Amino acid sequence: MLNSMMKTKIFAWVDRRTDAGAIIKSQLTEYPAPKNLNYMWNFGSLALLVLVLQILTGVFLAMYYKPSAAVSYGQYTVAFDSVERIMRDVNFGWLIRYMHAVGASAFFVVVYMHIGRGLYYGSYKEPRELLWIIGVVILLIMQGAAFFGYLLPWGQMSFWGATVITNLFGALPVIGEYLQQLLRGGFAVGDPTLNRFFSLHYLFPLLLAAIVGGHIHALHVVHSNNPEGIDLTKEEEKIMFHPYYTVKDAFGVGVFLLFYCYFVFFNPHAWGYFIEVDNYVPANALSTPPHIAPVWYLTPWYTILRSFPDKLVGVLAMGGSLAILFALPFLDRSKVRSARYRPVFKQMVILFFIDVIVLGYCGHEPPTPVLKLVGQVATAYYFAFFFLLLIVPKFEKTKPEPEGI
Amino acid sequence: MKLKQLLVAVGALSVLSFAQSASANEGGIELKHAEISVTDQAQIRRGLTVFTDVCMGCHSATYVTYKGLIDYPEIGLTREAVDELRGDYALTEGMRTDLSAEDAKGSYGKVPPDLSVIAYARKGGADYIYSVLTGFEHDPKGIIPDGNFNEYFPGHRIAMPDPMGWLDHDKEDTAQIEKDSQDVAAFLAFIADPHQNQRRAIGCWVLGFLLLLTLVLWRLKVEVWKDVKH
Repeated sequence: MLNSMMKTKIFAWVDRRTDAGAIIKSQLTEYPAPKNLNYMWNFGSLALLVLVLQILTGVFLAMYYKPSAAVSYGQYTVAFDSVERIMRDVNFGWLIRYMHAVGASAFFVVVYMHIGRGLYYGSYKEPRELLWIIGVVILLIMQGAAFFGYLLPWGQMSFWGATVITNLFGALPVIGEYLQQLLRGGFAVGDPTLNRFFSLHYLFPLLLAAIVGGHIHALHVVHSNNPEGIDLTKEEEKIMFHPYYTVKDAFGVGVFLLFYCYFVFFNPHAWGYFIEVDNYVPANALSTPPHIAPVWYLTPWYTILRSFPDKLVGVLAMGGSLAILFALPFLDRSKVRSARYRPVFKQMVILFFIDVIVLGYCGHEPPTPVLKLVGQVATAYYFAFFFLLLIVPKFEKTKPEPEGI
Repeated sequence: MKLKQLLVAVGALSVLSFAQSASANEGGIELKHAEISVTDQAQIRRGLTVFTDVCMGCHSATYVTYKGLIDYPEIGLTREAVDELRGDYALTEGMRTDLSAEDAKGSYGKVPPDLSVIAYARKGGADYIYSVLTGFEHDPKGIIPDGNFNEYFPGHRIAMPDPMGWLDHDKEDTAQIEKDSQDVAAFLAFIADPHQNQRRAIGCWVLGFLLLLTLVLWRLKVEVWKDVKH
């Protein structure tokens, strides 16, 4: 299909002016990819798909959404009203909004799988350090965009979540108080906060789109890692991205959409995980909910924050837990990439995945002494994982890597 | 083989999330189960009557317009019936109580919450609504006055005074009160998302289509890949 399209007159006209043919060749039809990639390599294309879905649905939501905390009736505000109008009166507004809300969680599911794959198969190692670092930047911007977006419905969890998180900045010395007021646009979360968060929520995905472009460019320079983690030297070990991986990615998209559409159409709240129960209660500055927790995808970092009695230490630990991802390529000096040939690392990284899930669980539940202790142990391992990587290569007996695939 | 591993991982994760959501249900009293159906027009209509006769004395459902009572097929009232209900209010106006916020504060100490999305705003949804409506008891400790003690309300002290007359009701009225409470729970569960039935109906077609599409893409993948040894 692509071939016949490239033979048309219109394509020739465009090609003479843009070199489109050369781009298609170098990026798709003659772009070599390892032939042994497993299904864990599908999550990158899925992340791109969800980003596009989020931007498209977001553009349409912004046509009807009104960022105003002005009271309309009772405890309702103009912002809360506009969301309910989208749900009730806008044609298929419910579909667009649930796609966007479920999409936010789907985005993180897909991206966390993508990051986990990179960790397990050592995709962050030489020569892919910068590719990994750009990916961490994408993660941080995603988390920012999700945080800003969660304020917009102006429900209780929107309001109090934003209050808790902006409070954290106040814990920083010297600039903390200024930074906090700058974020809020005042002394407390209110109408100015809602307006600037809406603006930033529209800005961040645009940054994301640009940086994702950089991520893909960097990938196409260093090429994909593979499950064996070895450099591929022979031509017969590679296949062209199109049609092999376009069709495999398309199949992955089908499977993903089955899950995604199940949630959109049958379980959009996902038992209170994607849209929290408390966020259907309009924001009320005078009534704090008994239990404030961020949405699931931010709870691991929330647990790290809560694990320290001192607020400043907690804030620094939470920041550090994300910042340390930047340093990962330089902490782990082992020459072997894939966990398949690193027995010690394999145990460590699987425990790390479990650890992050435990952290997430602890951050989602109301704090109890037991959960607090579990959270602290999990936090300790989170950091220990990265520092152990410094010494593991010194004693780890790696298995012999294959010559080729 | 690798696909199988992935499916196992996804399965394990979903089991984990189920276990988590089950334990997230907190250690409170178990709610009573409400027999409701958000597709049952008769029940939703009966619930609407309970809502306008009882609840609307104090509560609003401001996102539910009188026009909606005609338009939503799950309610589908006639224009004449709605005209009778709305009195002088416009068709496009939401269903609002005549009780002012000030009067409510004077009588009950707080403004009654709007009920438009209450079924989504409380854990347990319709079950919670039904349980609270039929949960007025005498405080076993004798501290909270009668009519303000509710077995299912968090903290047990509720400002809403026993709207269905549950406390000390005659035995022969039990069934009727339970029925009315379930009906109004059905109505509230429906209006929390009035397009939910349409959503599920479309969803079946969408999933059916995607299943076919994914099957085709899978066979296509296998076909394209058959010459690759890996």
